[in-house]
Amino acid sequence: MLGPRDRVIGQIYIEGDLRVGGVVEGEVEVTGDVEIDDMAKVKASLAGRDVTIRGHVNGAVVARKRLVVAKSGSLYGDVRVARLAIQDGATFSGKVSMGAGAATAPPVKAVEAPTPVPEPEPKAATEVEKPAAPIVAVPIVAAPKITPPAIIKTAAPAPVAELRVAGKDGKGKPVAAPIKGKPNKKKRR
Amino acid sequence: METQEAIAESTPMETDGQSDSKRGGQNRLVLGPNDSLEGKLTYGGSMTVDGGHAEGEFRVGGNIDIGNGTVVKALLEASNVTIKGEVEGKLTARDKLTLGKQAKLNGDVQVRRLQIEDGASLNGYVRMGEFEQQAPGS
Repeated sequence: MLGPRDRVIGQIYIEGDLRVGGVVEGEVEVTGDVEIDDMAKVKASLAGRDVTIRGHVNGAVVARKRLVVAKSGSLYGDVRVARLAIQDGATFSGKVSMGAGAATAPPVKAVEAPTPVPEPEPKAATEVEKPAAPIVAVPIVAAPKITPPAIIKTAAPAPVAELRVAGKDGKGKPVAAPIKGKPNKKKRR
Repeated sequence: METQEAIAESTPMETDGQSDSKRGGQNRLVLGPNDSLEGKLTYGGSMTVDGGHAEGEFRVGGNIDIGNGTVVKALLEASNVTIKGEVEGKLTARDKLTLGKQAKLNGDVQVRRLQIEDGASLNGYVRMGEFEQQAPGS
């Protein structure tokens, strides 16, 4: 459960259910059910079994079982679901794929869909220069917000040094981006 | 039976032909199980397809209802569209689109309001929001 004042930026993976009341940006994968409450603002790809949206969601949604967009909910993004219910009053725009196969397939789209990235450099830089496997997905959302110096202080020293070198070759910013997701994750989960 | 209903409902209105669009939903075209419609239809009233065969392009001023078990392959445009059967084609609802439990819709959708009941199936792009007016005759 993430309360109305909680905020997550980055990647979340949860075994179990998740209820969001605050702000989430990034990528959310849940083995159980996902509930987005009235006041929540989600700018992320969502994957879960039953997904219920009462708040505002911007991003791709994969529901292995069922997606419900309630009266108060609004959803902008592509959707792959087994079953879909949209209540009158809800707002929805996006592509809908339904049917037996659609929802069981892995959320391929999840990675690219929630990309509100202003500059495409971070992706390219990290992917090319580093085989930084676990970090790759993070810069998508992380890049725009926090200033690089702050992050470098909080992050673990070892990877920073490595990345910094790589970053200087190419760009300063992309380096900072991938690390940012991590501290956040620790705090919240 | 359906055919009779159609006659009963639409015959009295036929006399004042031009004022159809004003009367909106009052004029009703009903396609029963033995009826068939293929081609382009522009109609001021409402339209119901219940068991009949319908294919083409239907633009109506009123509402369109597609009954249970009915398969329609057409471009549809209406104020309110209620689907309980199967529809293949682009769909525009100036007001609201309702998909019933058994409904199947394959095609892109532009609507102002949308209600999908659990059990319905939908494949296509959905665009929602204030409706940009298009010339109904085009």
